[in-house]
Amino acid sequence: MDFAFTEEQQFFKKIITDTVDRMVVPKAREIDEKDEFPWELWKEFTRLGYLGLRYPEEIGGMNADPVTAMIFYEQIARGSVGFAQSVIMNILMGTYFVYRFGSEEIKKRCLYPAMKGEKITTMCFTEDQSGSDLAATRTTAVKDGSEWIINGTKMWITNGPHADVATVLATTDPSLGARGLNFFLVEKGTPGFSPGQVLDKLGCRGTVTGELVFDNVRIPEENLLGAELNKGVDYLAEILDEVRVMTAAMAMGIAQAAYDEGLEYARKRIAFGKTIGNYQLIRAKFADMATEMEASRLLIYSAAWKIKEKLPSRLEAAMAKMFATETCLKVVDEVTRIWGANAFANEYNPQRHFRDARFLLYGGGTHEILKDFMGRMLIGKA
Amino acid sequence: MDKVLVFVEIKGDGPRKVSLELLCEAARFAQNGRFSVEAVCIGRLPDAARDKLLSYTEKLVHFTDPELAVYSPEGYARALAGYAREGGAKMVIAGATGIGRDFLPRVAVLLETGIASDVTGANWLNEPMTFVRPMFGGKVFAEVVFSTSPVILTVRPNSFAMGEAQEKGGEYIEKTAGISPDTIHTKVVRVEEASRDTVDLTEADLIVAGGRGLKAAENFNLIEELAGAIGATVGATRSVVDAKWREQADQIGKSGKTVSPKLYIGAGISGAIHHIMGMDTSKVVLAINRDPNAIIFNYANYGIVGDLFEVLPAMTQELKKRKEG
Amino acid sequence: MDILVLIKQVPDPEALVEIGSEGKDLNIEPKFAINLFDEYAIEEALKIREAHGGKVKAITLGSAKAIEALRTAIAMGADEAMLIEDEGFAAGDGYNTALVLSRALEKEMFDIVLCGRQAIDADRGEVPQMIAQFLGLPHVGVVVKLDIADGKTVAESAFEGAKEVIEVALPAVFTAQKGLNEPRVPLITGVMKAMKVQIPKLTVEDLGLTRDMAGPGGSKTKILQYLPPKKRPAVQFIEGEPAHAAAEAVRILTEVERVI
Repeated sequence: MDFAFTEEQQFFKKIITDTVDRMVVPKAREIDEKDEFPWELWKEFTRLGYLGLRYPEEIGGMNADPVTAMIFYEQIARGSVGFAQSVIMNILMGTYFVYRFGSEEIKKRCLYPAMKGEKITTMCFTEDQSGSDLAATRTTAVKDGSEWIINGTKMWITNGPHADVATVLATTDPSLGARGLNFFLVEKGTPGFSPGQVLDKLGCRGTVTGELVFDNVRIPEENLLGAELNKGVDYLAEILDEVRVMTAAMAMGIAQAAYDEGLEYARKRIAFGKTIGNYQLIRAKFADMATEMEASRLLIYSAAWKIKEKLPSRLEAAMAKMFATETCLKVVDEVTRIWGANAFANEYNPQRHFRDARFLLYGGGTHEILKDFMGRMLIGKA
Repeated sequence: MDKVLVFVEIKGDGPRKVSLELLCEAARFAQNGRFSVEAVCIGRLPDAARDKLLSYTEKLVHFTDPELAVYSPEGYARALAGYAREGGAKMVIAGATGIGRDFLPRVAVLLETGIASDVTGANWLNEPMTFVRPMFGGKVFAEVVFSTSPVILTVRPNSFAMGEAQEKGGEYIEKTAGISPDTIHTKVVRVEEASRDTVDLTEADLIVAGGRGLKAAENFNLIEELAGAIGATVGATRSVVDAKWREQADQIGKSGKTVSPKLYIGAGISGAIHHIMGMDTSKVVLAINRDPNAIIFNYANYGIVGDLFEVLPAMTQELKKRKEG
Repeated sequence: MDILVLIKQVPDPEALVEIGSEGKDLNIEPKFAINLFDEYAIEEALKIREAHGGKVKAITLGSAKAIEALRTAIAMGADEAMLIEDEGFAAGDGYNTALVLSRALEKEMFDIVLCGRQAIDADRGEVPQMIAQFLGLPHVGVVVKLDIADGKTVAESAFEGAKEVIEVALPAVFTAQKGLNEPRVPLITGVMKAMKVQIPKLTVEDLGLTRDMAGPGGSKTKILQYLPPKKRPAVQFIEGEPAHAAAEAVRILTEVERVI
């Protein structure tokens, strides 16, 4: 067994940590307060080339393995979750199906610019009445000659209102349930495709999240992102574990940011004549937080390693997502206790981490769904 | 007797304070008769500076080569190392000033010996002598010992106390080091004196900060006057910035600037954690507050419980008096 | 212009530094960074190369771990790197560090040597000047501006606020100060190159030195023990009428603390 990052991965971690410290951390508070897409930071950061992280070098990517990618997700989320969500969307979900199934024409138009940050992408799964329950997707795709006609409304779409490139989940036949699902490419400017309501969120502010409306949107045949019709669920399975472990990595990013705030406060705040880090109850919090964060990272990086080695990882990815999320929720909570009433003041960061962490409960699957799924996998269909 | 050379530096018409501090300290540790101390000056030496130096040392050696009229690390190092070698000096000491730290390492190489830079304390009479110097920005100090001779040191200003000037003047000797111009490969084109612009808070050695206790924006002139008297940068608390008495750039604290000066004077500041997190690494903290229970006193070396409207002007006055005196 | 940049890997400025038992060693949190001032040196080297051509080579003396600092230099844009691997010398005094590095430099072709003005761990600020002396080269310290044009090299040196404008003959050593430039953030293409690059390693024996020279017998100076900084004592109230307390405060700050 070998639990160490390779020298290359360690170096990558160092570089991305420094880059995030320098470019993202100083902007995090402003991004949260303004709750506007940070265009300037987007331009500065995407110029560095990280959006091509997962894709082959031949097309301008970095060909990073899943372990290296998790290192990146963790660090960028540590900087600013609001910003990280937009960045990660372009790296993973927003471009994967375009990369996997798009024609060269489509890639030139959508993927390569997205890898440089020139186009903003999104993935449209969720609807008002369907999230984890994908089979309930009501957005439809109907074939009309050489075109597909998309109708429906998507909700909770990360980058939605700004998206140039959308990968849209739609059913060709609602009676088939999950077996009728497919992914379609819809580009900005296509008639009938328009943003709707923009959501005012508790956390992850800065990422613009909202509704996308598809009203008789006509797209060419080649915009079906899949080798075969009605295999959307199988294609989704290709990145599902990676998405879940990515969410877990983001959880560790948020947890680390909060933990660092807690550490600084424990070392400086004096109560009863001593810095509070001298009190056992505060020390115990750090012991617990550090232990659970270490455990989360072991789950995250071993699941990522399994994905890399193409070993079964469905259960491990779900475990990592759930455990890291619960750890993060605990850490952000403990840090607000360490900070006392100051954690309640919007001028300090702990409240931001506390709010941001809540998204983890929904992104990548609710824990109710995940636990049910894991239990079913473990027990069998009974 | 072991010969000790103290490199003395001239600024304007007089010697630098650190040079005098070192001469005084050297005179103190030489009292046991084990050491003989010489001051060494290279280049420009105004009469006033010479006279002042002679009241602090028994012997002043002055290198007058025209090639050494302007500072160059190569020239100064050769002159000082050459003189140290010639007289068999056991110790060469300079202030840890810009120039001292710049050329003393070269002296060490020329004399094939080590150097301790930015020394803040010394046990001159220990056998062997030991020197204390900061590392990690002062988070840790190292006690250093030499295994070669001579001992080369640069000493941080204000590390040793000034002593009294002597009535009888020392001996003054002019020398040349025989530096040929082709050994110096740098040429000073011009010197721009330091502008009077104050240093940014994050880099300031001296800070005077004010809080809500000042009661109004215009009262910050009391802070500014005290800061002016010692060449300090003005800082402020968040509440003062929120009240628009001072600009955002002046704010010290968690959402403002983190500062770490040698001296932080805080007046009318209660010590909210926000502010404390931005200044608690200051070396010496003097707090002035009417409330004896103000939290800032927990983070202060010195406290004055009193009315800042009286204390601040009195401090400014006292500083001016000392300057003139 | 062929430029050598001498860099040092140091503990991260935020790393916890604690004194070990009996003051004999330091326990330092294992978080590392390129010395801040060395980043300015790297950036300046890259700028000179961009303006005048040539190549930039980063060199460090350190443990195997220090290769990370060299990779960072490559990621920023340095063409080559070299590690002189020796923990003894790396932990030694300024003289020995300068000796090793100057021996390494003797084997190199260069016009310019750039270094940070001091390393933020040992805080000595000695090595670049010593290297210059070992090699018989001029140096300009604490540089905040460096202009190379028409065969002339002019550096601005910031000594305690005053600025000296100095013309210097190359080859020469320069020590970089904050304000010289704004170090670039590496692009992913640089990061990838840095991850793959094979960085040659040298031993002190390759430079004609022996390991015992860095040992207790060979060093010119050594650290006997580490001491903690003075802890801030409990507040000392200065009593008396405002005018008296003010005068006393000024006296203490001037004569006792000697901070003004």
